[in-house]
Amino acid sequence: MHAHHSILCITPPHMLQEIVRNGSPTQRDIALQTLITSEQIRGQRRVMKSMAAFMATAVPSGNKERAIYDVKNGTQLPGTLVRGEGDPASSDPAVNEAYDGSGVTYDLFFDIYGRNSINNNGLKLESNVHYQKGYDNAFWDGKQMVYGDGDEDLPVAERLFNRFTISLDIIAHELTHGVTQYEANLAYWDQAGALNESMSDVYGSLVKQYQRKQTASEADWIIGEGLFTSNVNGVGIRTMKAPGTAYNDPVLGKDPQPAHMKDYVRTVEDNGGVHINSGVPNHAFYVTALELGGNAWEKAGRIWYKTLTDKLQERSTFQQACDLTYEAAGELYGVNSLEQQAVKKGWDAVGITIGGDAPTGCLSTILGIFGMKAPAEN
Amino acid sequence: MRIIFERTGGIMGLKSRLTINLDELPVDQSRNLSRLVDEANFFTLPKDSSGRPAPDSFQYTITVETDTTSHTVHTSDITAAEELRPLLQELSQRARSQRGSKA
Repeated sequence: MHAHHSILCITPPHMLQEIVRNGSPTQRDIALQTLITSEQIRGQRRVMKSMAAFMATAVPSGNKERAIYDVKNGTQLPGTLVRGEGDPASSDPAVNEAYDGSGVTYDLFFDIYGRNSINNNGLKLESNVHYQKGYDNAFWDGKQMVYGDGDEDLPVAERLFNRFTISLDIIAHELTHGVTQYEANLAYWDQAGALNESMSDVYGSLVKQYQRKQTASEADWIIGEGLFTSNVNGVGIRTMKAPGTAYNDPVLGKDPQPAHMKDYVRTVEDNGGVHINSGVPNHAFYVTALELGGNAWEKAGRIWYKTLTDKLQERSTFQQACDLTYEAAGELYGVNSLEQQAVKKGWDAVGITIGGDAPTGCLSTILGIFGMKAPAEN
Repeated sequence: MRIIFERTGGIMGLKSRLTINLDELPVDQSRNLSRLVDEANFFTLPKDSSGRPAPDSFQYTITVETDTTSHTVHTSDITAAEELRPLLQELSQRARSQRGSKA
């Protein structure tokens, strides 16, 4: 407490009050303690009383409400309710992972960005586990999260996937699709779709880092760590640090993600390669976060959050995401601030320049439908 | 009868494809698949029920060819007709267990 105290002593009270209002629970406790202590020193105890009243009324208390359903290998959604908010742990690890994972995700969004759930209005977080038999996937259906058990029905030697709740970042990835739906509502195809995917990977990874208390340089930046069984030659389904290197496996093939616009993949499959080209904005975020240092959720995460909630629109492109994150960084931290320069470096690293005209990839998709190949767009 | 199954999307964005010639299967398996095609009322299903793509869901394209007719259906995890789901599950299962071998 003392180490924190000395830092907070030089912080003006109105800023401490801001921390009490908007900080994480830990930050709030420290700030409140500091406020009380300094008021005591000044002999103004009545302030403590008013602070207590302030805490009771003005501090937003998020209403985290989770519900976990068991689909029992069927497809009817939602399944049967097996764990509600505050209920004791289940004997089923998938139920507990979905419960705890959606809880930590709620916490990052609430503690750091002041967001109260998916819709910023306390929407219940609903997760469905044991979807189908041998379902090697997880998805967000517009209202709820859905998780398969991977290859549980195959002989051990043939299994590639574990259950999909096993990775915290997969859970946070799915929940973030909900946040995106209520904010920029990025269309799920072409570059807007890849940005949608990238936002889910960004907060997927940040939730994991937040839980592990890792700085940008300590984090592994892998998406889906632990999802593959030992039969797969790979560390996860994607990596934001080095897109294209997450796996290289005789059965699954090689990670197809580009880390730079020059390797942008023009395809009509996967809604225009939304899970492939997300490597480009993913890596831009990684470079920005590393450049800024410290906890990635604090500055880089805040810049991207402001961009997602205030700036991006349904059909936004990579170029617009580049320009708008730069703008958001300027608004949050000042024009030409180190933070804004870090955003510029992030996008430079993937071949997108502030105010430039990066190809949108849309023409190639249209041509692709007719079986034609797009010329180089630049 | 021939069935061509294709799955794209999902959280990894991977594609898998499977072609099944029912003539080449053991009788019980071939009979089971024919039954699932019948029970799905496959030839009366709408061509495209894929809808607006839902994040990370799979999209499926299934073609069934007989000597006299052929029908292709595009659908997804979210929008698949209830009567089609048992066939979808069976084909997904077969595609998964043949991963790695070129179908």
